[in-house]
Amino acid sequence: MQLAGRIARNPPALLGALVILMVALMAIFAPALAPYAYDQQNLNAARQAPSPAHWLGTDDLGRDMLSRVIWGARSAVFVIVMVTIIDLALGLPLGAAAGYWGGWVDTLIMRVVDVLFAFPGLLFVFLVAATLKPGILNWAKAIGLNDLVRSGYLDYAVVIIALGGVGWGGLARMVRGQVLMLKEREFVIGARALGVPTWRVIARHILPNAITPIIVALSMGMGDIALSEGYLSFLGIGLQPPAPSWGNILADNAGRYWRTFPQMIWLVFIPGLVLAAVVFAFNFFGDGLNEALNPEIE
Amino acid sequence: MATLLEVKDLRTEFHTQDGVVHAVNGVSFAVDEGETLGLVGESGCGKSVSVLSVMRLIPIPPGKIAGGQVLFQGRDLLAVDDEEIRSVRGNKIAMVFQDPMTSLNPVLTIGTQISEALELHLGMTKEQARKRSVELLKMVGIPEAENRLDDYPHQFSGGMRQRVMIAMALSCSPQLLIADEPTTALDVTIQAQIVDIVKRLKRELGMAVIWITHDLGVIAGLADRINVMYAGFVIESASNKEIFANPVHPYTLGLLGSIPRLDEAHKAKLTPIEGLPPDLIEMPKGCPFYDRCRFRAERCASENPPLELAGVRHWVACWNWQDVQKKRGPVGVR
Amino acid sequence: MAAFVIRRLVWLPILLFFVSVITFALGLYGPGDPVQVMLGMHANPETIERLRHEYGFDQPFYIQYLNYVANALQGNFGYSLVKYRDQPVGVLIAEKLPATIQLNLVAILLGCAIGVPLGLVAGLKRDTWLDLVVRGIVVAGISFPIIFLNPVLTFIFSRRHEFTLAATNFTFSIGPFLPMVQGHWDGLFSPKIILPAFIESLGVIAVLTRQMRAGMIEVLSEDYIRTARAKGLRERVVVVRHAMRNALIPIATILGLMLGGLVAGSFLVENWFDVPGVGQLAFDALISRDYYVIMALTLLIAVAYILANLFVDVLYGFLDPRIRQS
Repeated sequence: MQLAGRIARNPPALLGALVILMVALMAIFAPALAPYAYDQQNLNAARQAPSPAHWLGTDDLGRDMLSRVIWGARSAVFVIVMVTIIDLALGLPLGAAAGYWGGWVDTLIMRVVDVLFAFPGLLFVFLVAATLKPGILNWAKAIGLNDLVRSGYLDYAVVIIALGGVGWGGLARMVRGQVLMLKEREFVIGARALGVPTWRVIARHILPNAITPIIVALSMGMGDIALSEGYLSFLGIGLQPPAPSWGNILADNAGRYWRTFPQMIWLVFIPGLVLAAVVFAFNFFGDGLNEALNPEIE
Repeated sequence: MATLLEVKDLRTEFHTQDGVVHAVNGVSFAVDEGETLGLVGESGCGKSVSVLSVMRLIPIPPGKIAGGQVLFQGRDLLAVDDEEIRSVRGNKIAMVFQDPMTSLNPVLTIGTQISEALELHLGMTKEQARKRSVELLKMVGIPEAENRLDDYPHQFSGGMRQRVMIAMALSCSPQLLIADEPTTALDVTIQAQIVDIVKRLKRELGMAVIWITHDLGVIAGLADRINVMYAGFVIESASNKEIFANPVHPYTLGLLGSIPRLDEAHKAKLTPIEGLPPDLIEMPKGCPFYDRCRFRAERCASENPPLELAGVRHWVACWNWQDVQKKRGPVGVR
Repeated sequence: MAAFVIRRLVWLPILLFFVSVITFALGLYGPGDPVQVMLGMHANPETIERLRHEYGFDQPFYIQYLNYVANALQGNFGYSLVKYRDQPVGVLIAEKLPATIQLNLVAILLGCAIGVPLGLVAGLKRDTWLDLVVRGIVVAGISFPIIFLNPVLTFIFSRRHEFTLAATNFTFSIGPFLPMVQGHWDGLFSPKIILPAFIESLGVIAVLTRQMRAGMIEVLSEDYIRTARAKGLRERVVVVRHAMRNALIPIATILGLMLGGLVAGSFLVENWFDVPGVGQLAFDALISRDYYVIMALTLLIAVAYILANLFVDVLYGFLDPRIRQS
């Protein structure tokens, strides 16, 4: 494939693709790859430096860092995939509708997006996650899902809803812009003149032509999602320990005893570096994809 | 008349990811003082790249001037240092570009943009440059020139902007004006106005002009001499009259066949030249026009014809030009 | 241009209305009952009921909202319920704001001072090793999470490092290079501000560098740059007068949009470095569900953000004559 060839010729993009692939494999095969359970404590082996038994050492509860980092990949990938699905499910149809119909539909949708954008950066995500969480937990308890509450899976739901609910605005804006541009093109006007139903015009004639910027935006967005999940979990409003997340590993290790045991800096270093590598990878890959799909840019 | 500019065996190439694009392949031509030279050819034939190479305005990299000489008043512009070429640009040789919509800086007033060259090359003060700018704008026919000096380019129409470009180019009274398809982006009526302005100013100022176009019709009333270019080569060169009366290269014939003629007695069809110019990355060994030529012979596929004399100061690069001359039928005199 | 600004100003209160309703709803229904938050898990139900009535939490949503807005318009944003119990939120914020402003000011200045020249050079020297290094810095600035930079850079710069050469038994130590805040904030001109401000500025540096580089590359390929060169102008004049001005215009917009990211970063940086600013206040409030504090801060930040963007749009018009006159 020409696209694969173009990416292969772009070293940073190739590196990004490899890192993404590695993280995906780590996520899929976490149970097989991790030498220990992510929550297996061993207080006799706490705070150990890297050794053959624990390649990346252990934290202050004696949990194996390598295992936690590998399982952290599963959390990250799960959140990335789910949030991307929500972004697509909301951003694509709403953006397309706003661009295609214009008028009050456009005004309504884009004003909603404006409101989302009125809250700067991650602040809104923090706010939504922080306020959503007790509500969701109370509601689950009220309808008798105590096991679910205890399992920690609802934390994932909170993170995914907060990130997905806030994040679709950017995609919607972009899709709207693309549709606005494409709907004036001859082949779209032609299809409409032939009486092709509207949904089909959008799905078959407009969106396929807007696929390039959508894919690039999604790829770049995935790095941000990983980062946001890290921040939320770091703040204690995302995934809670013992559930494995690079963010909460960082928080545990940076917060709990870093100031007392500065020589243990690698415990902070490793999860942070892995998270950074994933963000790097998506940025590089997105850039490479952009260049490969729009060769005229470079 | 003395020779003002002499280009000898100029070669310019672009090094791209896909390979080396041979844009100009040993082009030679000369312009006398006060003479108007027309460079004609399809887009991508190397006419713009040749003159940009003369000015050393080719972006390097990816561009590269691979060989040749550009003698302007006897000194080789390709050999002088940056300082010296800058003292020539905008001063002795000035240029007008194709698209007036994008060739003016959107965030600077046109007064600033015209004054720049005056202050730089003629050492004028701001006041003097401003006064001179007004004169220049009047000269190219911009109404209320005094009031328009502080306007920005977007406040002018396309034709007006091209006049501003001309005023800018003429600001230091250059000896050579290079006009790179200055009318292509404009409406037909505006085109005629721009051509008239250049014609008038050329007469008044006595400068030489190189006018680049893909349209022989534009140049017919303007040029003293015409060079036809194809795939980075000059393939026919003759006086204006001779090109129209006695074209001997099949490509030139093709170009003439594709201009609408108002004086045509019989209803001749416009005959566009079929096919596409060759790939400039993998240049053919023989004549570059071979694939599209009606008169091609065996030899043309293997050997690229050099320019040879076909009349009084009439050169052509074709093995079969005599054959072409015989078979082409009558060519109307304009 | 004037019409544009007016349209934006008309939209402002509408936007504020939505922002406040959303924040209010999230605050009211999300963390559970503010009274519960205030009294803790094991409070007497009667006390809760009494306080709910006293504070008006048993009234319908719209009444509570209107009450809140009416009070807010008089400058009364309620009281802290948890950490700064019974202190007026307005006073709290006013107390904490200077540190945040100082920190972000230094971060933005650092970001501009480093990012714009870096991007300029990278754009001019495109595809050289210099460009490669600058692009590496950009990706690093975007990718390294603040939660990673905080401990790691603190470790590197604010600790004493001892190195022992095994063979000679010779020990030497360096650092700490930069002091920590540790409970006492000295404001703008103290070296304590450098590390937190630098960490915050990394994101700004990355974004500005990237924009400036892309802007220069785009502008330098414009026809009007060729025109400028054809006039015989010196390359320095071409770059400074003709290219840079055009490339700097989008930087202004980006700066406005950056403010949002800065506030979020401020949140984590202030908490880690113990900077007594609104970021730390917000952090505490969010963790402890200090309802009125969250409300007021969200509104404040959203308003600041919206105003900053409006300002940037006006500035944009001022910088770009094409927009100014249309």
